Amino acid sequence: MKFKTHISIKDLNVWYEKHQVLNNINIDIPDKKITVIIGPSGCGKTTLLKSFNRLIDLQDGVMVSGQVFVDGENIYDEKIEVTHLRKKMGLLSQRPQVLPMSIYDNVAYSPRIHGLKNKKKLDELVEHELNEAGLWNEVKERLSGPASKLSIGQQQRLCLARGLAADPEIILGDEPTSALDPISAEKIEQRFLDLKNKYTIVLVTHNLRQAKRLADYVIFLYLGNIIEYGKADEIFKNPKYSKTKDYLNGKFIEEHKIDKELNLKGTVCPDNFVKTKVALEELEVGQVLRIIIDYEQAVIEVPKTIEYEGHKVLEVKSINRTDWEIIIEKRNDGEI
Amino acid sequence: MDKRKIEENIFKGLMIFSTFIIFGSIVFILVTIFLKGFPALSFDMITKTPKGGYYLGKEGGILNAILGSIVLGLGATLFAFLISVPIVFYLNLYLKRKSKLAFFIRFSLDVLWGIPSIVYGAFGFVLMVFFGFGASLLAGIITVGFLIIPIMARSMDEVLKMIPQELKEASYALGATKLETAVKVIFKQAMPGILTAVLLGFGRAIGDAAAVLFTAGFTDYLPYSLFKPVATLPLAIFFQLGTPFPEVQERGYASALILTIIILFINISARMLAKKFNKNIVK
Repeated sequence: MKFKTHISIKDLNVWYEKHQVLNNINIDIPDKKITVIIGPSGCGKTTLLKSFNRLIDLQDGVMVSGQVFVDGENIYDEKIEVTHLRKKMGLLSQRPQVLPMSIYDNVAYSPRIHGLKNKKKLDELVEHELNEAGLWNEVKERLSGPASKLSIGQQQRLCLARGLAADPEIILGDEPTSALDPISAEKIEQRFLDLKNKYTIVLVTHNLRQAKRLADYVIFLYLGNIIEYGKADEIFKNPKYSKTKDYLNGKFIEEHKIDKELNLKGTVCPDNFVKTKVALEELEVGQVLRIIIDYEQAVIEVPKTIEYEGHKVLEVKSINRTDWEIIIEKRNDGEI
Repeated sequence: MDKRKIEENIFKGLMIFSTFIIFGSIVFILVTIFLKGFPALSFDMITKTPKGGYYLGKEGGILNAILGSIVLGLGATLFAFLISVPIVFYLNLYLKRKSKLAFFIRFSLDVLWGIPSIVYGAFGFVLMVFFGFGASLLAGIITVGFLIIPIMARSMDEVLKMIPQELKEASYALGATKLETAVKVIFKQAMPGILTAVLLGFGRAIGDAAAVLFTAGFTDYLPYSLFKPVATLPLAIFFQLGTPFPEVQERGYASALILTIIILFINISARMLAKKFNKNIVK
């Protein structure tokens, strides 16, 4: 493949405790294109993404070997300034995570910590980035209002604006639309298409149709190995390997084996959380619980609390305009 | 009725009984203080210092102890806050969750929490003797400060533990350092909890008698220097209740009433303050 490389990964291996999550990854990610990482759950997609801005450093028990070059600099070099590196990359997570401050302050957060104090310039920047994220018209009347009062879709676009305000070169998205309703998801997708001339974009997604709509290049990851990497239309039309073909045809993987289901429609916090917790107590470690909720605040609240309890949230997905499913694996709880 | 239902009812009864005991004793304490103390409460009492023979039932008030307690309580709370905040940020941002050091720090704080205040008082006294200064406001502030550090730090720690990892990651991902994340994001998110922790500390600081007995001393003068003894309400109550004169004992109850009112006032205003900070919190 001939293109200008932006991120170059050499012999990257990642372990969580004794479990190897990424196996000898070697790829070059092109400049100012959308690269989409696809693959079944638990194959290391998020780990790969988080190794680009070194957020995996923060997890307990992680070990990394190998090199990742961004603009020719090895980011795992001891001399590298990690804040400088992270500023280069905007991150959108699966569940939008706004900061506990006003809408304006959320966007101004990064420019301020990097030294911009001029009020007028900040105002212009905030307006510009909110426009870029397609949110300005919805929030211009209430910039000083709390960001947490926005809808989830708006929060995700606010996170995008906030990331753009840091003046990044790269945008990383970890299933950024899976918790959003279809209309909000489409708005985010449209943003990506508009922004790809200016930024290198790397997305993780479960949604193959979304991958087809957005991707210039595709990485297919399976159990920590790169099975196939190449131009999107080539991979989608003529996958070289049978595993890729099977995945694209939806033949294997993807569906979680659900051990228990819980319908929590019509419940509010903390009722839904308590019921989830009780249901998890009845499961064995490693078994999977699927809950359905229709209370928007719970989409963020429940996974957060469940993860705090030591369990693993496998997936948060919007099913239709009013409902979400959350898939949780019971982990060895107890000590925190 | 089947066995399970009876079980259910017995335990429900027990729960109501426990709640009643706690609630009842609070009401009992407040009513006692009020009934015994209110008649003795006078304008003089909160505006004047003790005149000669106050403890024999003559002229004066306990303004010295009121101001002394407030100054000492605020001083100790500030001192403990300045030490607790770095501890909890270190525990929750810089140390990994399962780190041995973090476990050890938490364990030590829990042990310190359980040590009786008279031991802190004795410890403060030994230090004072070593450094060669006598009972004073400063010694009181430091001793009481040490007494409430475990309370404040552990309560703040519990709050900070609840802050989701994703919130920290969101801030790091924008290029913020750990310190910036702590001050600008975590502190805001945890504000109501931190305020509660400060209140807990202050309540303990202003109400403790044993820790100040040797270290802050007692005086009939208003607090005017860090290096001079200072009066406190708990000791004033102790001295007044210890006299054989009924009217002075009554003043002791009035002093207790004043102490209770101060704590109530601080609690209510802090809660109103917390509401103001609540609006931006991410749920």
